[in-house]
Amino acid sequence: MDFHEKRIPIIKIHDYLIVSIQVDMHDKLAIQLQSQILEEIARTRAKGVLIDISVLEMVDSFIGRMLSGMASMAAIMDTSVVIVGMQPAVAITLVELGLEMPGVDTALNMEKGMEMLESRLNNRKQDFF
Amino acid sequence: MSEILNVQKAKERIDRIEDILASVAAGDLDARIQSDIEDDFTGIEAAIDLLINDLTEELRQREKMQKELENKLSKIQEQQKTILQQQEDLLELSSPVSKVWDNILILPVIGTLDSQRTQVMMENLLQKIVDTGCTISILDITGVPTVDTQVANHLLKTVTAARLLGAECIISGISPAIAQTIVHLGIDLSAIRTKATLQDAMIFAMKQNKRADEIRTLSHIVIPNEKPD
Repeated sequence: MDFHEKRIPIIKIHDYLIVSIQVDMHDKLAIQLQSQILEEIARTRAKGVLIDISVLEMVDSFIGRMLSGMASMAAIMDTSVVIVGMQPAVAITLVELGLEMPGVDTALNMEKGMEMLESRLNNRKQDFF
Repeated sequence: MSEILNVQKAKERIDRIEDILASVAAGDLDARIQSDIEDDFTGIEAAIDLLINDLTEELRQREKMQKELENKLSKIQEQQKTILQQQEDLLELSSPVSKVWDNILILPVIGTLDSQRTQVMMENLLQKIVDTGCTISILDITGVPTVDTQVANHLLKTVTAARLLGAECIISGISPAIAQTIVHLGIDLSAIRTKATLQDAMIFAMKQNKRADEIRTLSHIVIPNEKPD
């Protein structure tokens, strides 16, 4: 199986990157996605990343750690990451696994995630002026 | 000559007895020997008839009792089913999540909490959050007399899971007894927003709502201005 066939698209809209995960994640794909997103952040100078996991029905500890790791990595690169659309079952699994993902922002859906990023960006701009 | 005749007669009688016994054994309980001839065999035949009578009676009684037992068993099974069904219903009913305001969900908890109930509660709440898209939920535990470590942990998990979904969960109405238990158990609730009463929680939630609205309008005004080109 060729991983390049299964690349997860990263879409840039204004200052944001939108990543919609629509396939079942396996470990290699997760690692690949992580570096892919970080490279894309550096290349586009995005201010925020929205990761939509609403179709994911299973998140194991590896993917969970990957997601929270990515949030902290992006934070060092001065970009905020918002994870949107987590399923209740996934949330319960993560909490049972003890992966409470501190420091990761979450939103119910893409719209609310976008609002969250916008308000954050605005705060930054207001601080500047 | 008469002796041979007697022997033959005796053989016939014995054969008859055997036949009757065989048919009784095969299940024909109405078969009786009922011989009219008076001789040495009469006593034995009468005794066998009596025994068959007794046996028949016993069998009938046993059948009746078995039927009664079966009836009772099916009744009990039905009741068991009803009890299970009602228990499930009770679990569902005991954790109603209702939307009380724009963006605000309330889950009032009344009665003792056990692990199973908190589990159902958690699932209900999370599902409702996703279904309604409400970002603030209030978990009111005014009606809960005591909590133990497990239940406190479950409450914590619920709040964390709600946060993972992107919603905020406020716990209100923590009684003095529960506060004491939680602190004595060494559970850290500092990461969780707690309010004294449901009213306080509601006020907080509405303020939160208002702030979110303000930010939204602000961002809509600011963003176009920020793009001079």
